Amino acid sequence: MGEQSGAQNAWDMLSDEQSQKHTTTGSGDLNDILGGGIHCKEVTEIGGVPGVGKTQLGIQLAINVQIPVEYGGLGGKAVYIDTEGSFMVERVYQIAEGCIRDILEHFPQSHEKSSSGQKQLQPEHFLADIYYFRICSYTEQIAVINYLEKFLGEHKDVRIVVIDSVTFHFRQDFEDLALRTRVLSGLSLKLMKIAKTYNLAVVLLNQVTTKFTEGSFQLTLALGDSWSHSCTNRVILYWNGNERYACLDKSPSLPVASAPYAVTGKGIRDAVSSNHKRARVT
Amino acid sequence: MRPPAPSAASSSSYSQREPRPENPLLLLPSSRVTKLSLGCPLLDRLLSGGLPAASVTEIAGESATGKTQLCLQLALLAPQSPLSASSLFLHSDLPFPLHRLRRLAPKSRPDILDHVLVAAAHSPTDLLSLLARAQRLLANPGRSPHRLPIRLILLDSVASLFRADFDASPADLRRRSALFFQISAKLKELAYRHQCVVVVTNQVVDVLEGGAGNTVAWSSGRRVSPALGIAWANCVNTRLFLTREVDRDGASGGARRRMKVAFAPHLPERYCEFVIRRDGVFGVEPAERLERLECAGGLRSSYIYQHH
Repeated sequence: MGEQSGAQNAWDMLSDEQSQKHTTTGSGDLNDILGGGIHCKEVTEIGGVPGVGKTQLGIQLAINVQIPVEYGGLGGKAVYIDTEGSFMVERVYQIAEGCIRDILEHFPQSHEKSSSGQKQLQPEHFLADIYYFRICSYTEQIAVINYLEKFLGEHKDVRIVVIDSVTFHFRQDFEDLALRTRVLSGLSLKLMKIAKTYNLAVVLLNQVTTKFTEGSFQLTLALGDSWSHSCTNRVILYWNGNERYACLDKSPSLPVASAPYAVTGKGIRDAVSSNHKRARVT
Repeated sequence: MRPPAPSAASSSSYSQREPRPENPLLLLPSSRVTKLSLGCPLLDRLLSGGLPAASVTEIAGESATGKTQLCLQLALLAPQSPLSASSLFLHSDLPFPLHRLRRLAPKSRPDILDHVLVAAAHSPTDLLSLLARAQRLLANPGRSPHRLPIRLILLDSVASLFRADFDASPADLRRRSALFFQISAKLKELAYRHQCVVVVTNQVVDVLEGGAGNTVAWSSGRRVSPALGIAWANCVNTRLFLTREVDRDGASGGARRRMKVAFAPHLPERYCEFVIRRDGVFGVEPAERLERLECAGGLRSSYIYQHH
């Protein structure tokens, strides 16, 4: 209510924060450094080298957002905007199966068929609740993001929007680089507004590039200058030897921290070396 | 209700219509042919069925590790497989190995070479104009009724296209990078709109230090990584790494060859051993290879092993 009048007092903001929920990543360690998981009303950028698990995490979140409320989840639907063709349905199916197995393990009293009106714990139902957009150019990407506001107004049960990846189509040669920066800034503002207006999480997967700065090549997130100010949170996925790690690099309230994670047949889970006894569903 | 998937022919008017979401259930393998078998059950098992359509798969390796052989093999398998497709073979290394293709072709199918289209690409801009022509071919399959529709695109190799014309200066690397993304976006668009399997081969370069777990491998005693750096790595969906190791006992019969999944959105990181024979590239179980070496006295027995 406070938002609609344009001004909020501190009490409104506090109760707002409590109504904000988060989506579990599948890894307890990763959830811990993120303050519970990926937050609604916020834009989270997740970057990393090819093969480190960005798409795996994106798909895991698109599945986990659907975990029914009675099992501690958001019970929402997902929008997945695939710009690179990494969304492989057989893998999404596997990750859905893994999530359902963990739910049933955690809540042994539940059956696959829950009471009427509630989501059935079948992989097909999880697949069907992902609104999947495949785009092939930057103009299509702009069109989809512009269309999102209308779409989300008609589908109020969406609680996460994943864009995989957000910069791929902007890394070609642009004759007018200033235009590219303006377009990207416009998109990022729009996504921020969408996150807040529709109370959902926006997750932007990004690639890593080598940038020539101060006389040497360094790894950095692609088109970082255009995005860095407009994301609420930034997570970097990286290799430490043969182990995968995530580092929370930017957050309004949480400290910079790293945690290991694993990509398993069931999806994103705690690393073998983790202290968490088993994957938490919520 | 969920609207149906956008049709392939609508690419030019796509951005003018309202975007429509697809239902992932319709993308499940049961509803369409989505993989091209490699013609070998072991290699297919490594890849969970074969090479996926609507996706770009890179095959990287030193020279003579089997990259071109695999491409030729795939071009000949495509018309005979459930994909039932012609292939477009774009080569940047000259000349095109026609004699190898002829030797691999099954005698029972003399018409099979009709379904392999070959074009030479001499530079990145050359490749882009070839892909534009391919787009027109793919959008108008009716114009060539005697040939199966093209659903396999092979590029052998991407690294050769970028050998000349580019220094190591930051400006040139940026220019080269921008071309990677342009080429990749085009390949991916063709792959998606026409449900094509796209295969790109790549060479390797030596790395002295660093490199993440999945980008570096040992091959022929060298520590190597696929060429064209992290920028190009960002442009492929699946990376397969072909390596070879000379047998430690020094027997000339045994180069141990491995096809390794470096990364893929749908596959775990694992590998399969394989051999290169006159009639193609085939996976082997490690035990079989050793057995054969013993029997044949350490000669190149992998070449005469009867697989099927």
